[in-house]
Amino acid sequence: MSYSTFNRKQFDSTKEPMFFGENVNVARYDQQKHPIFEKLIEKQLSFFWRPEEVDLSTDRKDFQRLEAHEQHIFLSNLKYQTLLDSVQGRSPNVALLPIVSLPELETWIETWSFSETIHSRSYTHIIRNIVNDPTKIFDDIVTNAEITKRADSVSIYYDRLIEMVNLYNTMGMGTFDIPGRGEIEISMPKLKKALYLTIASVNVLEAIRFYVSFACSFGFAERTLMEGNAKIIKLIARDEALHLTGTQHMLNLMASGKDDPEMAVIAAECQNEVRQIFIEAAEQEKEWANYLFKDGSMIGLNAQILGQYVEYITNVRMQAIGLETHFATKNNPIPWINAWLVSDNVQVAPQEAEISSYLVGQTDNSLDDSDFDDFDL
Amino acid sequence: MPEQKEQVVHRVLLGKKQILVTEEEPLLVQLERAGIHVEYQCREGYCSSCSIKLLWGNVIYPFEPLAWVQSGYLLACCAIVKSDIEIAFFD
Ligand code: FES
Ligand SMILES: [Fe+2]
Ligand SMILES: [Fe+2]
Repeated sequence: MSYSTFNRKQFDSTKEPMFFGENVNVARYDQQKHPIFEKLIEKQLSFFWRPEEVDLSTDRKDFQRLEAHEQHIFLSNLKYQTLLDSVQGRSPNVALLPIVSLPELETWIETWSFSETIHSRSYTHIIRNIVNDPTKIFDDIVTNAEITKRADSVSIYYDRLIEMVNLYNTMGMGTFDIPGRGEIEISMPKLKKALYLTIASVNVLEAIRFYVSFACSFGFAERTLMEGNAKIIKLIARDEALHLTGTQHMLNLMASGKDDPEMAVIAAECQNEVRQIFIEAAEQEKEWANYLFKDGSMIGLNAQILGQYVEYITNVRMQAIGLETHFATKNNPIPWINAWLVSDNVQVAPQEAEISSYLVGQTDNSLDDSDFDDFDL
Repeated sequence: MPEQKEQVVHRVLLGKKQILVTEEEPLLVQLERAGIHVEYQCREGYCSSCSIKLLWGNVIYPFEPLAWVQSGYLLACCAIVKSDIEIAFFD
């Protein structure tokens, strides 16, 4: 079956599964199969923020005073986050919209992915405020081995699902010999398995992969350094917590069989693989902490403490989707981080947010070239 | 602050500890006041970080949390304790 942007069939979308049922036709929210997704949309919209509202002029001075190994920690984290949000700003749309079957879930996916694009724009805002030449930093993201290793793990499930759905939409079911790729079998169970593992891997991305970086940002801010950056990271962390809840709902609904009985069977079969996705990501994040601190630690944080934090948070996230915890660490080694993560302190009321005049100028500049380039497409 | 009305008090068992809580506030703040660290992030029911095992007893949610609540668990940041309960962190 090929994808249609406006499915002409008449059907009751509340009887459809979340994915691989009918393509959505009318974007209607008067009747919903899973109202949670509209609640997530409303919450996400209430979180709306703009990077330019946060003043970073002090961060520039702070950054220049950081020691070289601290600058390495700060910039490496920004690069890694840039990678993660580059993936997240497009992949839910590219991978999930062609197969989603509920209007409220379709709109949640779009809202979710849109909020990731705000995160991406905020990294450019941060980077061009603290260094003279942002190019070097962005260019390094596709060549730095520590980053690209992680790029492979965060995109592999998405890419496989997208490939399979493309085949499904053009060729239908069967086994196909794809030049350079070998034989690929397309069947509904295979598609659903690829989907389940993709959501699990995105859940891990939202749940674990940002947190070493968050801890470092708040570690600097504890020393009253890079506080504008910390303000932005708080806003990002608030969004990520909501995205996490979104993927947890999808996984739990799938595993429960309440949405699609076939999916429950697949979820049960995949349990071990999902555990492995968690564990592999946690190990990668611990390695990341070693890379960050290779030339020296920062006050209050080192690779060992961050490693324990990764283990702890991985346990919390595994438990949230009904998996047995894996790591021995049962306590949060950096409990102070929660006071930074809490959304209560987050305020972007206009009177609080100092508008950076520097950035206002920069926004105008960028309108001249880059923004209009997009129209060529 | 003088108490206006009789407060309903429940016992929360946590390992060998026993904490008294009221129905006036969610469990999380009352555990924190008792010096117990509970993991949290949003404190308003949408992140699931404060999920704790509920071994027995009843809690209610004045507002339905956005986070998924696993059966046998409670969300400490928004759960109101309605009976004596026993809770547990990770095994
Ligand atoms: S702290 Fe987020 S759900 Fe309780
Ligand atoms: Fe993001
Ligand atoms: Fe996200």
